[in-house]
Amino acid sequence: MFDSPTFGSLTRATILRSVLGLLFLLLLGRLYQLQMLYHTELGKKSEENSVRAVIQEPIRGYMYDRYGTLVVDVGPSYTVTVTPAAFDAANLEKLAALLQMDKKEIADKITKGRAYSRFSPTRIKRDVDFKTLSALEEILYSLPGVDYQVESKRTYTTSMQATHLLGYVKEITDAQLSRSAEVYRPGDVVGSSGLESSYETRLRGEKGFEFFSVNAQGQFLGSYDGGNSNIRSKEGYDLLLHLDASVQTLAESLMANTRGALVALDPNNGGIIAMVSKPDFDPSVFSGVTPLQLWQQLNSDTTKPLFNRATMTRYPPGSTFKMVIAAAALQDGIIDEHYRITCTGAFRFGDRVFKDLHVHGSTNVVESILRSCNVFYYQLVLKIGLERFAKYSRMFGFGSPTGVDISEETAGLIPDTEHYDRVYGKGKWTQGYLVSLGIGQGEIGVSPLQMASYAAALANGGTLYKPHAVAAIRNKRTKAVEELGHPLKTTGVEPAVMDVLREGMRRVVQEPGGSGGLARIYGIQSAGKTGTAENPHGDDHAWYVGFAPFENPSIAVAVMIENAGFGGSKAAPIAGAVIRTYLRNTKQLPERIAKPAARDTVKQVTQVTEH
Amino acid sequence: MFDYFREYFDFKGLFVCLALVAMGLVSIYSATYDAGAGAIFEKQTVWVIAGVVAMLVAAFFPFKLLQRLAVPIYALTLGALFSVLMIGARISGSKSWFGVGDFGIQPSEFAKVATVLALAAFLSKTTISISNTKHLLGTMLIVVLPMMFILAQPDLGTAIIFFAMVVPVLYWAGASNFVLAAIFAPVIVAAGALFGTTIFLISIVIAGLIIFFAHENRFAAGAVFGLTLAVGLSVQTVYDNLPSYQQKRIATFLNPESDPLGAGYNVIQSKVAIGSGGLTGKGYLQGTQTQLNFIPEQWTDFIYCVPGEEFGFIGGSVVLIAFAVLLFHGIKIASISNNKFGSVGAIGVIGVFAAHIFVNIGMSLGLLPVIGIPLPFLSYGGSALIANMAMVGLLMNFYANRKEH
Repeated sequence: MFDSPTFGSLTRATILRSVLGLLFLLLLGRLYQLQMLYHTELGKKSEENSVRAVIQEPIRGYMYDRYGTLVVDVGPSYTVTVTPAAFDAANLEKLAALLQMDKKEIADKITKGRAYSRFSPTRIKRDVDFKTLSALEEILYSLPGVDYQVESKRTYTTSMQATHLLGYVKEITDAQLSRSAEVYRPGDVVGSSGLESSYETRLRGEKGFEFFSVNAQGQFLGSYDGGNSNIRSKEGYDLLLHLDASVQTLAESLMANTRGALVALDPNNGGIIAMVSKPDFDPSVFSGVTPLQLWQQLNSDTTKPLFNRATMTRYPPGSTFKMVIAAAALQDGIIDEHYRITCTGAFRFGDRVFKDLHVHGSTNVVESILRSCNVFYYQLVLKIGLERFAKYSRMFGFGSPTGVDISEETAGLIPDTEHYDRVYGKGKWTQGYLVSLGIGQGEIGVSPLQMASYAAALANGGTLYKPHAVAAIRNKRTKAVEELGHPLKTTGVEPAVMDVLREGMRRVVQEPGGSGGLARIYGIQSAGKTGTAENPHGDDHAWYVGFAPFENPSIAVAVMIENAGFGGSKAAPIAGAVIRTYLRNTKQLPERIAKPAARDTVKQVTQVTEH
Repeated sequence: MFDYFREYFDFKGLFVCLALVAMGLVSIYSATYDAGAGAIFEKQTVWVIAGVVAMLVAAFFPFKLLQRLAVPIYALTLGALFSVLMIGARISGSKSWFGVGDFGIQPSEFAKVATVLALAAFLSKTTISISNTKHLLGTMLIVVLPMMFILAQPDLGTAIIFFAMVVPVLYWAGASNFVLAAIFAPVIVAAGALFGTTIFLISIVIAGLIIFFAHENRFAAGAVFGLTLAVGLSVQTVYDNLPSYQQKRIATFLNPESDPLGAGYNVIQSKVAIGSGGLTGKGYLQGTQTQLNFIPEQWTDFIYCVPGEEFGFIGGSVVLIAFAVLLFHGIKIASISNNKFGSVGAIGVIGVFAAHIFVNIGMSLGLLPVIGIPLPFLSYGGSALIANMAMVGLLMNFYANRKEH
């Protein structure tokens, strides 16, 4: 056809076709690879690309006291945010000046936020005041990527603080964040102590997500999928507490300027009616931004206001422990209620003399409680021995955590043979160590909460309820209430034995000359026991445990005041006032008598605490 | 009647071309649907009408006259390329446009048609033999002249097309294997020079082997090998002496993934768009990548993402198959043509198409570096569409006149 043998030859046409065919197959193969083999991965990328999720913060659960009074609420708080992808670093200075923050601090927060999502707003400053907010509003147009959002913060509606019971929320720490990165993002607030912490998973609710379509410039183009894919945030559950806010308020005012703790329990279920630990602080200081300075101050304060004395302290209980020794001796048949000793005001053991405050003369077990005769118990504890001492202490819940539903608590310390062997060495300790334990002194540690639980067991005739603050959890939306139940165990102390102990305690308060007279409540029978625990570091710790009404107890209280002196004069009147207020609130006091009596005793109490 | 038409009218070329143009309109509509660029689609429909006119003019242009006018058209085009460098509007950093009212004209697109015609006219002259070195160099000059002007704009992508187009033309026209080796060897070595010493040495060995196996005489082989080495070494020297930011620019050009927010952004987004399409795609106007404008000006160079994302593997394959049908049809026309003009011309046309298709789709699929050239018939752009449709018109003309001598 053509002069050149190779021009447009069949071979060359075939080779051209083959080359083109191969190139098309290559493209087709690549298309197959991307669309069929890598589809899942690239599809996911594409979704992330075009759909932005904006987190809808849930409303944190409220807390109500036992009468339905709202005690922990949420209020609005304005948080300034920066969307890392849209933010111009040149504006850093302007923003820092406006928010009165360090430039580096803002840059760090943006960097941290970028690691989670470049396109989601990250919080820069929480709880911004209105003045700053309106200043920001004016120049917002010149600060791309900067915005603010309304969030909720804790507000406290009553005059009580209940710091250690309720706990507080605080901005999440890096450590917490790394433990549960699937739930939290930087800048989230999280329950950090008390009920806020232990019920965090119920209170926090679930974050919602609102999906928006965006373009490559990160501009929002509107709701994605018509909003059908949005996930509504779920509000946190409300906590219905056993707490009596007015009793708590009163207890806090009575304990003002002391170091100590008060726990009031419902002996019928273990519910916490009040829990005070002093000194404390206003939990609302943490609800917005926590000023670093304040945090350091609270941390370094030598009186340890962050420390929950109600559950964490481990002090000797003093004479309030005598009922444990008596229970052991009575129940195991070592003595009976008619057994008597003659108190000479001192007890000699080996070459040591253990003193008593008074010479009580002939004393039986009920009288030994009434008059708090030490000699009776010096002798009695030697009769029951260390093992029985430890066994009965544990039966009343000492030596192990109570299982209360607020974060930290101590197990306390109840010594036994093993303990002394470990500390002093086998055979290197004597029965003399036991003598002080008879009056709740020496190597024994209990928390005010354990003492309240003990008082409740004495009140209800021998049942140990697990102390708990939350009675029920309520769904904010449906109002469905989930009762939390009251786990309990019996102390194993026989009712007949309990009756003897209770009678002793009744007479402590009701009988003229009883050490708990200042806890007396007019118009009702009350029972209790005072304690004055010696303390190598200073003045004695004042203790009181008690309950009322005697026949059908509805409140049990333990009070401990560090270095205050006599339990009867310092702790008992506070317990009395708390019990009386609770009984009045729950209509267990005859109205006619309650009012004047209440006023008198409060005056009396105030005088006592002002010493 | 119909048989008569089929004898002289290339229905196949026409339909495939119109099908591809339709796919282009569908894709452009989607790409501009929500991008605030609605005028793009309207303009393109105007270009399609102009393209159909150009195609019909080319298809029915008198065959002899076309051969005679090939060189004047070519000269005119060179003039246009020269003047666009002088008076053209600078758009996106390149002086490649004549502004005419709202519309712009890109002479480099028409230069492809003119160069194909000039090559066909030159190589179909009875006095010309490709095995004659002077004639071979003359052939190369026809391609290199417009290439130089286009490189000066600068428009590397279009310049590459000219190079890619001349290879099948020379091959078809009967160039010896050695000629092809002499063209490929320096290119292989020059490219290898950019990838570091090891690859550079390997590329030299490969080039050497190609030259060795294709050589006709030792002197020519040695000269070509020497030239190859010189090209490779000078590329490497130039590269080594570039400021580091320019080296980085070349590195990202070769490996877009290394700069995911800069040069690599489009490629990554394009792969995501196509990959997320899956088998059947996200549905028309439902492609999130496309609709949310993740790829800037997607309607130009990354238009292939639209069928890929919205119609999936099925859509992507249909486009590929349509192109394959067009290219194989072109080879068939070249094979059945009784005259060299039509035969070389047909190969020139499919050479231009093939270069565009493989470079553009290869880029969209992340196989090739980002070289800014449009996808024939699908990408938005009036000059390219008119030129491409005119080239289909030429194929139809060559088909109709295949029996001419």
